Amino acid sequence: MNRWKRSVGEIQARRRQVSECEQAQAALSKVTACFQQIATCIGSNTDGSSLREELEDTRALAYRICTGMHRRLLGLLAETEQVQEDREQVERMWVLFLCALENFQQNLRKVSVLQESFPLGQRRDRRALVNSGATGGGSEVAGRAATVQMPWVTAEGEQKPDLKIHIQEIDDLLQEMLQRVNIPLWSVESTQDAWAEVCKELQEEDTLDDLMEVEVVSQDGKASGCCSHSNCRLGCIFCLLN
Amino acid sequence: FRAICQSDHPYSLSPMMCPLEAVVLEMQDPKTGVKSQTQRLVITTIPHAITGEDIVEWIANRFKVGAAEARAMGTMMVAFGYIYPLQDHKRLIIKPDASLYRFQTPYFWPAQQWPVEDTDYAIYLAKRNIRKKGMLELHEQEQYNNLHKWMNHKWDFIVMQAKEQYRAGKERKKPDRVVFDCQERAYWVVHRPPPGTISGMDYGLERLFSFVKYKYKSFLYKYFYFCYRLVKYSTTYKQHDPFLYPCLPSNPWLTDDVTYWQLNMQNIENPTKMRVERWTFSFGELLSDPRGRDDFRLFLKKEFSGENLAFWEACEDLKWGTAATMKEKAQQIYKTFLARGAPRWINIDGKTMEITVKGLSHPHRYVLDAAQTHIYMLMKKDSYGRYLKSPVFKETQKKAVAPEPHNFSDSQLEQNAKKRRPSLSPIILRQQEEEQKAKLAASGPVDITQVMSKLAQKKGTEHRT
Repeated sequence: MNRWKRSVGEIQARRRQVSECEQAQAALSKVTACFQQIATCIGSNTDGSSLREELEDTRALAYRICTGMHRRLLGLLAETEQVQEDREQVERMWVLFLCALENFQQNLRKVSVLQESFPLGQRRDRRALVNSGATGGGSEVAGRAATVQMPWVTAEGEQKPDLKIHIQEIDDLLQEMLQRVNIPLWSVESTQDAWAEVCKELQEEDTLDDLMEVEVVSQDGKASGCCSHSNCRLGCIFCLLN
Repeated sequence: FRAICQSDHPYSLSPMMCPLEAVVLEMQDPKTGVKSQTQRLVITTIPHAITGEDIVEWIANRFKVGAAEARAMGTMMVAFGYIYPLQDHKRLIIKPDASLYRFQTPYFWPAQQWPVEDTDYAIYLAKRNIRKKGMLELHEQEQYNNLHKWMNHKWDFIVMQAKEQYRAGKERKKPDRVVFDCQERAYWVVHRPPPGTISGMDYGLERLFSFVKYKYKSFLYKYFYFCYRLVKYSTTYKQHDPFLYPCLPSNPWLTDDVTYWQLNMQNIENPTKMRVERWTFSFGELLSDPRGRDDFRLFLKKEFSGENLAFWEACEDLKWGTAATMKEKAQQIYKTFLARGAPRWINIDGKTMEITVKGLSHPHRYVLDAAQTHIYMLMKKDSYGRYLKSPVFKETQKKAVAPEPHNFSDSQLEQNAKKRRPSLSPIILRQQEEEQKAKLAASGPVDITQVMSKLAQKKGTEHRT
C-alpha cells in the first residue's frame, strides 16, 4: 500500500517537472527570439550603450534558463524506469533544447563579432555606424523578454559569464549533451504537420505587407517607383490600387 | 575592385572587416558619404534611403573610375547584400537612376565567419508563412517542403522559434518593423536566391577574398618557382610527348595503324610500359588514368582501405555533377563516409570533419573540398608510396607490354589507309564503364569496416546455428 502511494507521488512530481521544462522551453524560445531582434540593431544607427546593456540582460536571462533546464532534463533522462510516452516527450524536449542551444550560440557568435567590429568606446565610432533606416532600439523587445517567468530564474542566481566564455560554455555543454545521452537526433518526429502554423491564432493586419510594396512619392516629388514619367500622377494612383 | 584594395581607409578597420565593408562605412559619412533621403510610405516615413544614381556617382568620384566600373562595383555591393533595393527587391543590381536603396544592417551582412544555416532559413520561411497566411512563392514552398522533410526532428523548434520571432518583431514600432522585414527579406534574397536571380553567393564569398590575397603574394618567388617547375616537367615528360618522341608502335595519325590506341584503351588488362611509367611520375597521374586508378583500387582492396579512394571519387562526382543532384549526393556521402558509425567511415582530423559536417547543411559543389584534399594527401603520402612497392604494381609492371616500333613500307601504308574504320562509339564505352563499376561494387568488401562488419555478422549466424 505504501509502495503504491509513493509511486503515484513520484509520477506526479515527474509530471510537474516535465511541464516545468516545457514552460522553460517556451521561455527560452521567447528570450532568444528577443535577443536576436535586438542583435539586428548592432552596428546600425540605433546601436548604443543602452542597447548593448539590454542585450546583456537578455543574454543573462537566457543563460539562467539554459543552465536550469539542462540540469532538470538530465535528471529526467537519468531515471531508468519510465513510462513509454513520457520517454518520447522527454527525448523530444532534449532534442529541441539542443537545437535551441545551437541556434542561440550562433547568434552569440554573431553578436561577439559585431560588437568587436563596431566598438562604441569613442565618439568617432558612432560615425561608422550604418544608417539602416530604423529609429527605435530594442527596448520594447527587451521588455518582452523581461516579462518571462520561470520557477527557477529568481531562485538560482548564477552570474552570467563573459560573452566569449558563454559561447565556449555552450560548446562544452553541447559536447557533453551529445556524449552523455545517446538519443539519435533523427529519431524524434515533429508533432506539427507542414504548413500547420498558418492556421494558428496569429492574425496580422494586412497593411504591413502592403506598406512594403507600395512606394508613393519620394521627397523631391519624382515618381520614383511606379513609372518613368515624372509628371504621371494618374499612373501613381493605379500603382497604389495594385 | 582593384581600386578598393589599393585605396586607403580613413576609418579604423577592425581586423574582422574586409575592404568592401570599409567602403560601405565610408558611404555613411554625414559629410562625405552618399546623400540620404526619406522614403515616404502610405502611413509613415523611413529615413536613410539612397538613390542608385547617387551611389554610382559617389563610387565614381571616390575611386576615380568611370561610370561603368562604378556601376559594376555598386552592383557587387547589392549582389553581396551590403545594400538592398527598396523596389524590385528580387533584382540585385544597381539602377543608375532614382531607384531607392538602403544600407543593410551589419547583422545581415555576408560574413565568412558563420555559414548561412538552413535552420535559420526554415525559421524565416515559417515566419513568412505565418505572416502571409500560407501564400509563399513557389520556390519558397518547395524549399519549405524539403526542409520540413529532412529537418523534421527540429521542426517543432523551428515553428516555436518562428512564432516567437514573429511576436518579438511585433513589439517594435511600425516603421522599424517595416525596416526589419525588408532587411530580413533582402538577406534571404541574397542567400537563397529565387530562381533566376543572380546573387553574389553562387561561388561563395570565400573564393572572392582568397583571390585578392593570392594576387599580392610575392611575384618574384612565383616566377622562379614557375621556371623550375617547367624545366622539371619537360625533363620528366619529354619521352611521352608524341611531338618529340615517336609513340610505340606507331602514331596512328601517321601510319593509319590503330594498334597504339588499342593498346592504350581504358579498360585494357595489360597496359603499355610507357603508361605504367607515367603512373610513377605523380599521384595525380595515377589517379587521372582510369587503368591506373583501377590498379590502385585493387591494391587498396588488398589492404582493406578502399574507402579513401571511394570517398575521393564521390567528391569528384559531386563537384562535376549536375546541380539538381547535389543535395542528395551530399547526404549520401555524409551517410556513407562521414557520419558516426558510417559503413565506410573515413579517418579525417577533427577540425576538417567539423568544417565539412557544418558545410553539408547547405551543400554546394565545393563543400567537400577540405575533406577531399585531406584524403588526397593521405593517399598520396601514405598509400601511393606503398602501392609503388607493392606486388600488385610490380605484377602490372611485369606484364606491361612494350611494343616494337612498326616499319611500314609505302605499299603497306596504302593498305593501312584503305583499312581505316571508325572506333567504338563513346556510348558503348560508357556502357562498358558502368558494367565494370557494377561488377566492382558487387565484388566484396574493400575496407576494414566492411570486413569487420562481415565478420561480426558471420559470428552472429554461427552462434545461432
